[in-house]
Amino acid sequence: MKKPILRIYHPRVAAFAWLLGLLALGVAGSRVLTADWLETGFLALLPATEQQPEIARAVRQHNELINGKIICLTGADSAPQAVAHANQLKERFERSGLFKAVRLQVDQQAFAERYRQLFAYRYQLLDAQTRRILQDQPEALIGRNLEILYSPVGQLEAANLERDPLLLFSRYFNAQNPGRFTLVQGVAVVRDGERFWALLIADMADNRLPLDNLEVLRQLVNEAKDPIEAAGGELLSTGMPLFTAEGSHSAQREIAIVSIGSTLGILLLLLTFRGVRPLLLSCVGIAASTFAALVISILVFGKIHILTLVFGASLIGVGIDYALHYFCNSFSSADWTPAKGLNFILLGITLDLATSLISYASLGVPPFPLLREIAFFSVIGLIGAWATVVLLFPLLLTGFKPAHKPAMLRLTSYWQQHWPAWLLRNRAWLAPVAIVAIAGGLWQLTPRDDVRLLQSASAERLAADHKIRQLLPVRADSQFFLVAGTDPQDWHRNEQALLQRLEAQKQQRTLASFDGLSRYWPAPDTQFANYRLLKRTFHETGLLQRYMAELGFDRHAIAEEQQRFKIAENNSIGLAEWLDGADEARKMHWLGCDAGRCVSTVSLSGIKDLDALSQLDGLPGVRWVDQASQLSSLFERYRASASILLVAAYGIVLIGLGCKFGWRNALTIMAVPVLATAVSLAMLGWFDQLFSLFNLFALLLVLGIGVDYGIFFFLAGDKRSSTALAVTLSAITTLLSFGLLAVSSTAIVHAFGFTVAAGILTALLLAPLVGLKRTRQ
Amino acid sequence: MIYLKALVLFLLTASVGMADELLDQIQARLTRSAITRGAFEQTKQLKVLRKPLVSNGTFIYDKSRGIAWKTLSPVPSLLLISDTRLWTAQGEQPVPAAFGKVFQAMLGADLAQLAAAFEITGAVRKTSWQVSLVPRDEMLKKVISRMQLSGDHELRLLEIFETNGNSSTLRFQNISHPDRLAVGEEADFAHLSP
Repeated sequence: MKKPILRIYHPRVAAFAWLLGLLALGVAGSRVLTADWLETGFLALLPATEQQPEIARAVRQHNELINGKIICLTGADSAPQAVAHANQLKERFERSGLFKAVRLQVDQQAFAERYRQLFAYRYQLLDAQTRRILQDQPEALIGRNLEILYSPVGQLEAANLERDPLLLFSRYFNAQNPGRFTLVQGVAVVRDGERFWALLIADMADNRLPLDNLEVLRQLVNEAKDPIEAAGGELLSTGMPLFTAEGSHSAQREIAIVSIGSTLGILLLLLTFRGVRPLLLSCVGIAASTFAALVISILVFGKIHILTLVFGASLIGVGIDYALHYFCNSFSSADWTPAKGLNFILLGITLDLATSLISYASLGVPPFPLLREIAFFSVIGLIGAWATVVLLFPLLLTGFKPAHKPAMLRLTSYWQQHWPAWLLRNRAWLAPVAIVAIAGGLWQLTPRDDVRLLQSASAERLAADHKIRQLLPVRADSQFFLVAGTDPQDWHRNEQALLQRLEAQKQQRTLASFDGLSRYWPAPDTQFANYRLLKRTFHETGLLQRYMAELGFDRHAIAEEQQRFKIAENNSIGLAEWLDGADEARKMHWLGCDAGRCVSTVSLSGIKDLDALSQLDGLPGVRWVDQASQLSSLFERYRASASILLVAAYGIVLIGLGCKFGWRNALTIMAVPVLATAVSLAMLGWFDQLFSLFNLFALLLVLGIGVDYGIFFFLAGDKRSSTALAVTLSAITTLLSFGLLAVSSTAIVHAFGFTVAAGILTALLLAPLVGLKRTRQ
Repeated sequence: MIYLKALVLFLLTASVGMADELLDQIQARLTRSAITRGAFEQTKQLKVLRKPLVSNGTFIYDKSRGIAWKTLSPVPSLLLISDTRLWTAQGEQPVPAAFGKVFQAMLGADLAQLAAAFEITGAVRKTSWQVSLVPRDEMLKKVISRMQLSGDHELRLLEIFETNGNSSTLRFQNISHPDRLAVGEEADFAHLSP
């Protein structure tokens, strides 16, 4: 017996230290947990170091602009009915208080003001088509004008004929607002076969998307559906907040599943020990370690991601083993005391802590924010679990005596004797079968790293999103170009060059549409060129005079127009002024000028060929941003490096065990997690399950728990029965909690649960083989 | 005598005030058909121009597709209007507020749907009728102050008065109701199919 440990150990002092630590955490927690500490957006997962800082900043700006936007279409058989549904929806949205703006009616006033603002620059602001006509064949413009003027619906265009006889401005203004919208009662309506759809756009008041708001939003949209559908209408909605809302909703549901499983596990504990004390202590252990991990992680990172919470809390699950091992040890002898128990298990659980820490900490090596958070979270949680068992339990277990031999103990005792014996007897055929099964499964294992698997959007949500993108040129959220220049002029040149290349792709139908500011705002030199073009083609040639006279303008009117043209010679409108009155869709493209760098985004919709677009990266000032592919390829690279880290973790644990117990014994102990991992991977292959970065977390858990079982059995000596009980209980609670994640609808959570379940079952079945010989000797 | 006068006045105001009844009466006279074809002469009077813009051409109305407005002189051009779309060779535009509908209603002799968009007054005489339409829609009101329609069993004359003082007069002639579109007309409407 290792008396030295006991000699310096005073249960009261230890428990006091533990309590002090908890108090400190409580004080810190009361400060950090009241702030906004939970991150739910998936774009937050992108590592900052992956991008140049100025690009990262531009991308962040872009994301902030689109993050809070929701697009809704209400459908009906007639346009007024569609508008009525939309009005109803608008009211509901406004009542909720979730939004800072709900836009339905096109703002006529703003429209008119915009017209007035830009009209003064009509000689400088020419749309691309008009410029082309003027360059190629100026007379053709006259024909086109006549066509408009003679048209029975040309009232609006002709309204300013007096001050704009060439109808330059109405052309420019119409070209600014492309799309096939019709205004019905001031609402934009788009038609699709027999269906009419009214467009409503809403902006979340808080686009950091706090969790409470997301849940309210999800319910709001779901509830809004019913009355519209009851009236024979339809509601389509999409937008980042909705996807995030669904994601966090299912994450919450999964956390609920885990807690139901945990509760069942706890009930099992209660039945086994027939006492409240182990149960309460287990709860204290779990609560304290999770609380410590949460508080310290937030202190370090400022904010933690919801996935950190899910996976981190899972990884801490190993911690319950320490407690179980301690309790079960009490069945091992009649004169058991907490001190003796601690003395017996201390080596095992400390070794296990060390190995788990090594394997979890290795997660934090790659510069991937989520991995670092999870690694840190689980390391702190495990230390907390260990400290609780070692510092607090001895005092609180004083006088603890299991009053009976539980049936469960008899069962596991029987099992640990006969099951390994059966395995050994049949090893002649079992081993080859197992090898073939494992090899076959591993051979079928194919990794999938698509980031979209992170989002657990329902089929319904995806269908609505798809339909909306068919009806409207909704910009792709995560794919766009960033265009930069040293000043607005330089930026304009770069963006125009890009737009030309995009136009070519549009012609080839690999792209439905694209949009950029430089389409609408000509750079100052272009503005002057436009003026000179008009001067050369219409004024200096006398074409204007002829056109106006033939149309029926009198001499006076012609002279006035010439005078107006002359005065406007040095007019030009700067980007800032132009943007000032622009609508939001335009403003969203501009990310601003800062320190000699002006940046805009060029949005895309209906992308069919990502490769062709990515090849435009590297045009002067142009960067291609594809956040989805970037994340996917990132996941792929980190899956690869995390695999290596996992292997390294096995190696380090093996070396550690080798130093302590000798190489043969270390290999025997390690065989449990290694085989469990192999079987788990093979099962993923056989059942064609998702294999990605996130399965590796599960395998780390399998490593941690597998080593646990191996060490416990190795050190069990004559206490194999109580060890078998501890291991079985641990396996059952793990399966009940994390194995239950296998029913999740989120692909990665499901894969996590599946991997853990397969691995833990295997570890449970193999562990009793460890330490058999030692006992016999 | 005074009673008679009162009675006449009453009847007159009744026929003027009850738009639905008025429209019903006119509707009853109009030839209803899925397709209407004819010629038009348009005179546009623009305030800033000394002389009117006069054009003529043909039109065809098809209940299910919309209107093809073919100007032949002075500048040949084609305009297609449906419920929600307005197509010209220069490109597609959003339909100006309620305009497509109004045009369709008038050429298709479907007056019932006019009542929703306009305040209607008018009179029906023995062989002819006349109505005056004032837009209800705020946006349309800003552009068009009043429209005047008159005809017999067909719409013959349409006058549009704009708020800025401009006006257009459209005269319809040679109206016929064929059973189907000609090949060329089918081809014109094809521009509207998505």
